[in-house]
Amino acid sequence: MKKTVTALVLVLVMGLLPLMGLAEAFDPKEFEGATLNVYNWGEYVDMNVIRDFEKEYNVRVNYKTYESNEYLWLQLKSGDAWDIIVPSDYMIERLIGAGMLQPLDKSIVTNLDQLTEGVKNMPFDPDNTYSAPYFWQSVGIVYDTTKIPEEEMEAQGWDAYHNADYAGHVYMYDSSRDAFMMAEKALGYSANTTDPAEIEAATEWLRTMHSTLKPSYVTDEVIDSMAQGMKWMAMVYSGDGAYILSENEDMAYCQPKQGTNIAVDAMVIPANAANPKLANVFIQYMLGYDACMANSLEVGYASPNAEVLAELSGPGGEYEGNAAYMPRSGYELDELYVDLPGDWQAKQPDLWAKIMAE
Amino acid sequence: MKSFFRMSYPYILWIALFIVAPMIMILLYAVTRSGDGIITFRFTMENFTRFFSDPTFLKVLWTSLRIAFLTTVFCILIGYPAALFIAGLPEKRQTLMVLLLTLPMWINMLLKTYAWRGILMNFEDLGSEIKVFIGMVYDFLPYMIIQIHTAIAKLDPNLKTAAYDLGANPWKTFLKVTLPLSVPGIISGITLVFLPAVSSFVIPKLLGGGNYVLIGNLIETYFLVAGDWNFGSAISLIMALIIIASMYLTRKMDRSGKEK
Repeated sequence: MKKTVTALVLVLVMGLLPLMGLAEAFDPKEFEGATLNVYNWGEYVDMNVIRDFEKEYNVRVNYKTYESNEYLWLQLKSGDAWDIIVPSDYMIERLIGAGMLQPLDKSIVTNLDQLTEGVKNMPFDPDNTYSAPYFWQSVGIVYDTTKIPEEEMEAQGWDAYHNADYAGHVYMYDSSRDAFMMAEKALGYSANTTDPAEIEAATEWLRTMHSTLKPSYVTDEVIDSMAQGMKWMAMVYSGDGAYILSENEDMAYCQPKQGTNIAVDAMVIPANAANPKLANVFIQYMLGYDACMANSLEVGYASPNAEVLAELSGPGGEYEGNAAYMPRSGYELDELYVDLPGDWQAKQPDLWAKIMAE
Repeated sequence: MKSFFRMSYPYILWIALFIVAPMIMILLYAVTRSGDGIITFRFTMENFTRFFSDPTFLKVLWTSLRIAFLTTVFCILIGYPAALFIAGLPEKRQTLMVLLLTLPMWINMLLKTYAWRGILMNFEDLGSEIKVFIGMVYDFLPYMIIQIHTAIAKLDPNLKTAAYDLGANPWKTFLKVTLPLSVPGIISGITLVFLPAVSSFVIPKLLGGGNYVLIGNLIETYFLVAGDWNFGSAISLIMALIIIASMYLTRKMDRSGKEK
């Protein structure tokens, strides 16, 4: 009997807790002991920033990482609940369309006004209703200038991936979306095409790349391998490129003349988040000057915070003169990804898997 | 007796929940299309025809079987003499040797593979297939040695004495006595090496330098990247059938060996 009473009291108290939280405006003590579930890309944060957040609000951050937007999507579809996720533009578009996100609480997330122009009000979320940019990037080619002269690379752009002289000395990023983007740009199409004839031509283009260059297909290991100069060139994301350039002075970064993909990864709060208010506080914190500075210094991706971006790429900044740090902005042929229609989401990986296995 | 049987209930429950049920789900996924409901699904074989009508998939399947077969053969070739050597040592030293053999198995497989990657990076000329092969043989060798060693160590030493007594030389004794009697050890070694080797995907991924696709990598791609669970399940099922068939064949070999 006594046990039942205790249990009842406990249930009542726990039921009341969230209500008590709502009654007063947010203060740092409010979240004491809470856990925030954050799901982010691998190698994408300065962990000290997370520790500081934990200390400041007396909470625990359960920080886990994933490797691809598609994997994240599958996990969310199977019902996994996170408070914060950091998908890319086209995946945010898909999540909004599926009603799987909740709007940001703009009374808490006031740091949105510190965003740089290049990442504000993007087409996938025009008023930043759901998303707060975390990093932004371009896709390009990191290459060893002692093996490939700068003029030669700039003149080729993506066509370098058809140049038989480089056979055996090439890394290719194992990502179907980026692979097709490269082929489509090289052929002068849109990176978002679903025209069967254009896809067919792009597939053929990638097949030729596979058979003439025999590239090594890699993911994150490309960062260390290129920093050590293991091969002549590699398709990379600009942030990884910035890190490689700062480690190895022979390396240079090319943003292909045929145009490339510009991508924005942004923090969003899933509709089934257990702790949405703390999630908003977390986003506000991550957008601030200190967190943005620490993160951008640690991983090399371009900061969404205007002040940090100017400081790091400006005179005396850590990334001054680093061609890969600042994504190209305003180039006509560059494109954001849009979410491809359902049957294409499986079709591209299928085509890509077969090209790699040939 | 009955009470003993009752003690196996937790195990039976475990098998039903974590082995039989997932297998049934894989089977269901494999014979349906994506988007079908659990109750309203329609039976289809198109996932299988898609696999067998594409030369690329068949090539991957063939490569996987070939490398698993070669790994097993090399594990026997290296493992058998090693096991024989260990079994010939005094008992106390045998225990130590077996301990030394199992020692690397305490270390996470991923860690060992990364270490191999670092070593093999210095040998650019080695083809990716050789690199994958080295990693696989290294990783699976202890299983083979331990199985064979157990079989040999169990043999009654009097058998050998008897063979010598009847005029057989050491080589003949080995061929006529030790080898045939250690076949069960080789068979269980094959089971422990071939089956994981044919479905391994971490080693080819890390050591193959990214241009070596095995069937395990294909399954990973279709599940995690393409999100095509139906086709991924069909490939898994094809794999499972091949494994069951090869297990059946090795068992049969074992039995026919005994009948002689």
